[in-house]
Parts: sequence; C-alpha cells; structure tokens
Amino acid sequence: MGVLIRVVAIALLMLPAFAGAQPRPSFIAQPGRVVAAALPSSLLAERDVHRQLGSGLTTTFILVARQRDTDRRGAARIEIRFDLWDEVWLVRKIEFDGKEERQRIASRELLDTWWRAPVRLFAAAADRVALSVTLTVLPFSVAEGEDARQWMSKSGGVAVPDGGSPLIAALIGTALSAKPIRSYRWSADVAFR
Amino acid sequence: MSRSRSIAVLVLAFAAATLLFWLVLHEMSGLWLDVALRPEVRQALERSLEDQKRLRALDPAHRDDYRRHFDATSKLLHRLDVIRMNREQMLRRFELTLVTIFAIVAAIAAMSVWMRYRRAQSLERRQYLDRVAVLQETARRHAHEMKGPLTAAGLELERAGDIVRRGASEAEIAAALDSVGDELEQLSRFTRQNASFAAIGSPVLREVSLGEMIEEFCATFANAWPSVALRFSGGDAVVCADRDMLRQVLVNLCTNSHRAIEGSGEVTFAIARRGTRVALDVSDTGGGIAESLRARVFDPYVTTRKMGEGMGLGLSISRKIMLDHGGDLQLLGTSPDGTTFRLTFGENECS
Repeated sequence: MGVLIRVVAIALLMLPAFAGAQPRPSFIAQPGRVVAAALPSSLLAERDVHRQLGSGLTTTFILVARQRDTDRRGAARIEIRFDLWDEVWLVRKIEFDGKEERQRIASRELLDTWWRAPVRLFAAAADRVALSVTLTVLPFSVAEGEDARQWMSKSGGVAVPDGGSPLIAALIGTALSAKPIRSYRWSADVAFR
Repeated sequence: MSRSRSIAVLVLAFAAATLLFWLVLHEMSGLWLDVALRPEVRQALERSLEDQKRLRALDPAHRDDYRRHFDATSKLLHRLDVIRMNREQMLRRFELTLVTIFAIVAAIAAMSVWMRYRRAQSLERRQYLDRVAVLQETARRHAHEMKGPLTAAGLELERAGDIVRRGASEAEIAAALDSVGDELEQLSRFTRQNASFAAIGSPVLREVSLGEMIEEFCATFANAWPSVALRFSGGDAVVCADRDMLRQVLVNLCTNSHRAIEGSGEVTFAIARRGTRVALDVSDTGGGIAESLRARVFDPYVTTRKMGEGMGLGLSISRKIMLDHGGDLQLLGTSPDGTTFRLTFGENECS
C-alpha cells in the first residue's frame, strides 16, 4: 500500500514536467475581439510531424477553437507541402473568416518564421472568453487521399475503361482516410481590453 | 435430402465464398498492398527522384522532360505512402469483408438446406397421403363391386329356396338360378378385369401397317357400338406393335367414347407423323372429360361411371400398353364438343 502511495505521489510530482513537454501555442487577443494562436516551432520539430513534412505530401493542421459552455466555435487550417522538385515549401493558411494566404517559402528557417506568425481562429462575443482549442495534424490532403483511392481501385494504377469494380472502389473508399498523426488539446483564457 | 448431399452443398458454398473472397483480394490489392510497404521500392523511387534532379542540372535543355518523369514518380511515391498509412485499416476491412461474405453464404446455404429438408418432408407426407387415398378408393370400389352381386346373389338364392319349397315348376327354378348365375358372372367379370390389369403382358412387336389395321378395325367393329360411327381419315405408316394389344387399346378408347356420346356420334382415326415418330389420333364427338378428372384420367379406378358399371381401368391399361410399346398415350384435348387421345409409337426395332 505504501509503495502504491509513493508511486502515485511521484507521478503527481512529475505531471507538470510532462505537461511542460507538450508544445503550447500562445493565444493572443487581437483587435475586433479576435483570438489568434501563435504556434511554436517545436511543433514542427515533433518526430512524426517532421518526417511527414519531408514526404512531399500535404501535411494539414486543423485548429478548432470552442468557447466553453457555448456552441460558438472558430477554425483555421494550415497546409504545408514540400515541393521535392524545386525544394521549396508551399504553404497555405485559411483563417476563421475565410482569409486565405499562399506562399512559396525557400528554406526551413523561413518556414519556422512563417509558422510562428499568429493564426486568427476565433471571433469572441464578449471581453473575456474561455476556449478549448484542438490541433489535429493530418498526413495528407483529401485530394491526395482521393487520388490514391482512384489509383488503387483501378487495379494498381492500370487504368480500365469502366473505372474498376464498384465493390472494390467502395471498399477502398471507406478504408482510405487520413488518420491524424498527432493531436493536441489546450485551454486558453483570453481577455480583451 | 440426404445428409451427404447437404454436406456437399455446404462444402460447395464454402468453396464459393473462399473463391469470391480470393477474387476480391486479388483484384483489389494483392501484391500492390505489400509492394507499398517494401522499403526497397520506396528507396528506388527516391533514388529515381534524385536522378531526375541531377539530370536537370546536367542537361538543362531537357528540364521539362525530367520534370514530367519526376512528377510521375513522386505521384506514385505519394500514392504508396497514402496506402502504407492505411494498410492496417484496409486489412481490417478485408477481414471484415471475408467474415461478412462467409456469414452470408453460410446463412444462405443453411437456409437452402433447411428449406429443401422441409420441402422433402412435405412432399413425402403428401405422397403418402396420396397413396393412402388411392388405396382407400380402391378398397371402397372393390367392396362395392363385390357387395352388389353378392347381395343380389344371396337374395336370389333365398328366392330360389322359397320357390323349391313351394314346389314351383322347373322353369321358375331355372330362372331363379340363372339370376344367381348372372350375379356370379358379374363377380367373375370383376375378377377378370382385375386379373387382366395385374397381368398385362409384354407386347410382341411386329411390323404393322397402321392404315390397314385401322381399316380392318373399323370394318370389324362397325356394329360394336351401334350409336358410334367409326371413321378413318386415311393415310398409312408402318409401326412396330403388338396387333392384339393395340386393338385392345382401340377398343378401350372406343368404349369410353361410346359412353361419352349422347345419342349418336363418331370416332375418327387419323395417322400423323411427329418428327421421326408415328402418332395415331383418336377423336370422338362426346361430351368431353370433366376438368377435375383430366389430370388423373390415366390413374387406375378413376371413372365417372356408377359402381358396378366399370372399374376405371381401361385408360390405365391402355397407357401401360403404349408405354410398353416404347410410346405413350396422351390426352391431347377435351372439350364439350369432343375428346382426342394420341397414341405415339416408339422407335423400337421389331422382333
């Protein structure tokens, strides 16, 4: 019993250390009661994320902010694809209000700089909001998944006139999906003056 | 259905399910799913990408060509990456598909076996009841056919006894005994009919000129049924038949026609060729056969006659004779205007 208590106590003491290990963005109050998130570079350096960024597939980051105790929500989306031919980073950012930004970034350092720029993700209705924010990292885009599905359903890339068997297409269609490689959840209290 | 047949059905169903799943797996991915996972494939594709980039530097004039090759290769690499990331999910889906297909096929097979078993049971019950019904009807008819003459003969004997005791004349006694004799003759006829049905012999087939035989039959039996005119529409064909047995068939048919014709009418014989076979159509102008009897018209003891007027064996005997000839006797058609039976002859060689 004594041993169990000691183990639980040590785990409780180490909890802040584990919590500190998870990357955490800064949540910024912007004019117009807009909440923005500045994502840390360490998030891109996470092993799974780092490996996926170099694959040439479009790594997609989906940020969703929910105001606690209400159904208000906002979302933003960031897509990063490394162009293997030109060796540049093609990035796209869509903020909560639909504002879109596309860029070609020449180096990893510049990508980190661009990444850290605040992403606007929520419009608050009051001077103070308590948010629950989730970040989901998907390994490829919907278009890339669909392309692979179509290719697979055509007998491994050999095009057939009728587009392959409907049964096979249905099986692949329901089996191929972008499962998150990482996901994070944060809480944030943001006050506007 | 026998147990071995049920097992065979289940084995076949299982084999079909296995084959079906194999086809699905083969068509869907088979090799490709595993190719996506082989590191050397990925390495080869990555090397190819590097090569295209190096060639771009060495030969800038063909930069666009290298770009096209590069794009095609990188697209393939990306597709394989997407598939690799979903491999477990896809395999799970295949397994689920396998189980579902097996379950469906097994359920269908089990249902089919059960339904066949139930159908066989039901058929067996129905056949048993049919057999019992035929035996009941036979017993009833036999009892009635025998009861009538026996009762009548008994009464006649009592009457003859009274006459003898009264001291009647010899003529009166002889008349009473004749009556008893008549009843006993009816019993004897009944026994003979049954015996002839039980002992239909095998036909001795010889070449018979059908036209000649029908003409002769019409002439011989012209007065056998006074209200019926026998007509032959002509023609000829040589068949292998037992002349005496064939005549018996024609007599039976004409006897039935005679009973079906009210007033006067006719029976017509027509020879026809049906492919390589010879047919003889026998048509009458009688009132036809009731619809309820048509399906059973060749069954023994099926008759519209009253008890004591016939056993309903004529058509049964006739069909048996024609089947023994390698042919058949069929009811071609019947209506209130008449009935036609068709005799077909087999292609047997004459003895």
